[in-house]
This record gives sequence, C-alpha cells and structure tokens, in this order.
Amino acid sequence: MPNLRVPIGILISSDGPYSAVARSMLCGALQAIDEINASGASVAFEPVVGNPAGQLSRYVALGEEMLAAGIKHVVGCYTSSSRKEIIPLFEKADALLWYPSHYEGFESSPNVVYTGPVANQHLLPLVDYLTHRVGKTAVCVGSNYIWAWENNRVLREAMGAGGGAVLAERYFPLGSTDFGQVIEAILEAAPAFVFNTLIGISSYHFLRDFRAACEARGIDQPMMIPVASCTLSEPELQAIGPEAMDGHITSSVYFASIDTIENAHFTASYQARNPDGPAVSADAEASYIAVHLLGLAIAEAGTVQIDAVKRAVARQVIRAPQGEVRVDADTMHAALTPRIGRSRRDGQFEILMQAPAPVAADPYLIRTASRLGSVVRPNLRVAS
Amino acid sequence: MTPQRLIQNFKHGRGLLWAGPDFNAETLERTLSKLGVSLTRLEHVDGTALDHNRDIVFIDGDHAFDPALLMRAGAALPPAPTIGMVGVEAPSRLKLLADVGVTAFLRKPIQAAAIYAALFLGVNNHGRMRVMDQRLADHDRRHHGRRFVIKAVIALVQYHGLSDDEAYARLRRESMRQRIGLEEFCAALVADGSGTFPAEWPALHAEDGPSRHPGDKHETHDDDGRRSGGSADADRGPGRGPDQAGRA
Repeated sequence: MPNLRVPIGILISSDGPYSAVARSMLCGALQAIDEINASGASVAFEPVVGNPAGQLSRYVALGEEMLAAGIKHVVGCYTSSSRKEIIPLFEKADALLWYPSHYEGFESSPNVVYTGPVANQHLLPLVDYLTHRVGKTAVCVGSNYIWAWENNRVLREAMGAGGGAVLAERYFPLGSTDFGQVIEAILEAAPAFVFNTLIGISSYHFLRDFRAACEARGIDQPMMIPVASCTLSEPELQAIGPEAMDGHITSSVYFASIDTIENAHFTASYQARNPDGPAVSADAEASYIAVHLLGLAIAEAGTVQIDAVKRAVARQVIRAPQGEVRVDADTMHAALTPRIGRSRRDGQFEILMQAPAPVAADPYLIRTASRLGSVVRPNLRVAS
Repeated sequence: MTPQRLIQNFKHGRGLLWAGPDFNAETLERTLSKLGVSLTRLEHVDGTALDHNRDIVFIDGDHAFDPALLMRAGAALPPAPTIGMVGVEAPSRLKLLADVGVTAFLRKPIQAAAIYAALFLGVNNHGRMRVMDQRLADHDRRHHGRRFVIKAVIALVQYHGLSDDEAYARLRRESMRQRIGLEEFCAALVADGSGTFPAEWPALHAEDGPSRHPGDKHETHDDDGRRSGGSADADRGPGRGPDQAGRA
C-alpha cells in the first residue's frame, strides 16, 4: 500500500485551438499516473483534471480551484501565455507547476519544473540543420504571440550570422485559417524553406493550403520549399490529413519512431490505452516524464512540500522513452536529447539527426549565444 | 543614430550589491547565478573604477548611500549600469536612485521573474545613455570650436576672395586631410596665424608658388593633395604619407 496518496492537478486544454496536442498530453500524464499507481510504489496519485479549453481566464479559475483544494503539484499548460498567467498563483500558494511542453525559454520560476525543451534543445539544432543542409533564405509564418516572435528573433540572428537572410515574417491571430495571400508571397519570394511557428489549426490549414498551391504550380513542395518547425508532432500529422502530412521538418526531443526499449513499451501501452487517438507526441512524452519524475521525487522526499520535492527531483535520472532524462538543480529544466525528423505519409517521423547525448537546458542562452545574442552551433550527428 | 546592438547575454558579469545587512539577497544571487552573473558587495570594490562591460550595480534605495561612492564628479551617468531596488516608494528614497542614474528597477521583495528584464533594460539603457553622453560631449566640443571656424572662414573670405561656402569647404577638406576635427584645425590656424593668417596660408593653386606658414616646420598641401613648400621629399620619413603631415 502506498504511504502517500497525493492529489495531482492536470490542467490541460482538451478542447480549443490546440486540443489535438493537448489531448495527447493528457493521455501521457494519465498513463504515467496509472503506471505509478499500479507499481506498488510508496506514492499513489489521485488525478484532478481541469480543462480550460484554451481560455486564459479558465486557466486561472481552474488553477485557483485546484490550489485552494490543497493540491501542491499540477501538471499542465501548453502555451507560454497560459503558463505566465498562472505562475503567480503557484508562487502565492507555494505550489509547483510541472510544465510539460517546449517553449521559448527566458524563464526560470522557482515554482515551475520544466520537462519540455527550450531553444538550445529544439530551435538551435533546427536552425543549424536548416542553414547547413537546406538553404540560406527563409520566410517565417507564425501565430502572433511570444512563441513565434522569440523563435523568429533567434532564427533571424542565426541566419544573419551564417550569411543567410529572413526574407519576410508574417504573423496571424491564433486560430486564423486564411493563408492565401501569404502563400502567394512565399511562392513569389521562393525561399529555401518556410519556418512555421503557427500553432494548432492555423498550422494545419497553412500546411494543406501551401501544399495545394505548390501542387497547382507543379512545385514539389517538400523538396523545393520544405516547411520546418519546432512544434509539429504526430497527432498533428493526423489533423493535417493524408494529402499534406509528409515532408515537413521538425526539431523535437521525442518522436514516436525512436527505437528504444523504453519507447517501445511507452508507445505500445499508449496505443493500447488510446486506440482511437490522439497519436503519441513529444508533449505527451514530456507530460509522461513530468509525472514519473514527480512520483520519484515525492517518494524520495517523503513529502509533497515543494522545496523538498525540488531537491529530490534534481537527484533523479530516468530512462525515458527519448533516452536518459534528468532535471538540473539550478534551473529546474530537463536535460533532453535534440533530434531532427521529417514527417512521412504513415503519420510518423523519420529521424534524420540526433544529439549524441542529452543536452542540458540553457533557458537564458548564456552558454549557447554570444553577448549580443548570436547563436553557437549545437552538436548533432546523423542518426544511424 | 546607428541602432545600438542590444546585449542579451550577461554571462561573466559581476553584480555589485549595495544593501543593508538585513537585505535578503538569496533570490537575487540565485537568479543571477543562473544568468552567469556573480554577486558581491559594492563596498568590497572601488565604486569609481567599475567596468561598464562587466559590472552591474544593484542599489537598495532603502539603505543610506552616498552617490559620490559611485559617481565621478560632474558625471551624469554612473560608471556601470545601475539597477535600483525599491521597497519604500517615498520620493526621498526614489530621489537617491534618480541621483545615481539607475536605468532599471526591481521591486522589493525581489522576484526571480523580474531580474532578467531588469538586467536587460538596465544594461542596454545605460549603454544607450552612454552613447548619448558621448555625443553630447562631442557636440559641446564642436560648439565651443565654432567661433574659430567662423573666424577662419571670415579670414579666408577677406584675404583670399573666396565665397563663404568655398572657404568652409576648403577648411573642411584640409582638416579631413590632416585627420583632425574642423574646429580643432581652425582653432590651431587662428592661433598660429598671429595676425598674418591667412595671408600666409598655402596658395589655392600650386602654380601660385611655394607658400609656407610662418614657423611651420612641415610641408603643407594644396587642394589636390600635392605638396608645396619644403624641399621635395627630403623631409618625408618612411611610410609617412601626406595625411600625416600635420600642421596642428
């Protein structure tokens, strides 16, 4: 019997503009909870699930409810805006948010553990790959918020430093689906690649329309003007649909196609639990990792108090589906393994390159960028 | 104005803290260390010998501080970026921070999430103000030298029959050739002229004949850069081009 029964909050938008990924995050978190509860460990979790449906005000309301009920640990948030919105609540309540998604960095809250990648683990490897293997000119298309702005800034500086150029940047409100004009502009500019920071349905619409526009002109889009991003994941390939899901370049620390025993176990169990989808994704794995790290840390600390749990989590090393993962004691960010993949028609990614070992997070880019912000080349090699 | 490159990585920086003994520096120190910035007490270093490329001063406005510890006499800016920490928002305390020229502030108690932004604004605003300070000093210097330019232009107009535009262009060209500021060049001309200037000014055209400034040991140059006066190349040292043949 477990010594500690711990309520755990899950704050994930199963509805709303980014629900395809968020639902896979929920599946990943619940899978880890069930695994821990079934393992006979000294900790058992009692999940309390809140669905803010992508609305900032509901993140606050549901977060407040969870914390008022005495919950000390919440796994959740996908967008940075939602995370920023609820961090003050966690600081006030002395609680810990386990944030399981990639983000732009430049944050290190004492009340957050970050299990997704930051720029030096996703964007810098992608920029390096694109500038050295694809081409020197880019058009950036993004959703109009911090994720796109900051990623485009880093891309612009890296491209400039490497003798390349960003030809244009276009931003659209979250949820936009009309990309006719920007597609015309891209075809006119003929960049070596498109850097896509659109999220959710906007991204799927853009990818479908762009493919169709290229086909109408006899352009082999994946070959001639590939679209690259740090976000596109397996459940989203399903959402794009068969006509345009292949040939997109993604930088991620996790792909469902990773060939490890841990991943085979993870994906088999995930598919058995969720036969009708959503497909497993990097953010699902990050959620799965977050819950497992939390379970191990509470078991070792013997308490849910956040200082003790933070000290304990920094001592854990887990063999996650993506490989070895540990959390840095100073930044509370996870060391993860960067990879570059290209989507296929079967809804999976072919892994083109990967880092030889996990890479520590550098949330403020103090180790991977110069004083003026230009980036240093990351270390990736061709996946065998 | 050329856009200033913004500094965004503060690794190897040195934070210098001025605060009372009861100041809780834990959050500040821990967050700065994540940003690659160390933290030591300001009283352990010479506050007037700071390096603006490395040092960032944090001043607790609630703790008595003599601005002279940091500010050079007459300076408008502290020698390194300075961030004020505000506890009591009373004008007397805020005045201290204004007096030392803080370029960013942190509200007390210090919150980790505000520190990077304070560093970014503090350092880059300081850099921007430093550039403006230098430009202001440069303008002051030029402003003081303007009367010599006017004197030199008038003299050229009076004695050489040039228009004021031609006179100005001539002076400007000559000062550029000698790689000194127009104002300094004119001041030296007017001072050296000793009443005879510009009658002894080198001729406008080489064919007007050699011409030397009284007491001038070096050759001078005509408008086309040809040397006039002196004894051909005899006094021209190795590697010494016409541009180095300075009068002033």
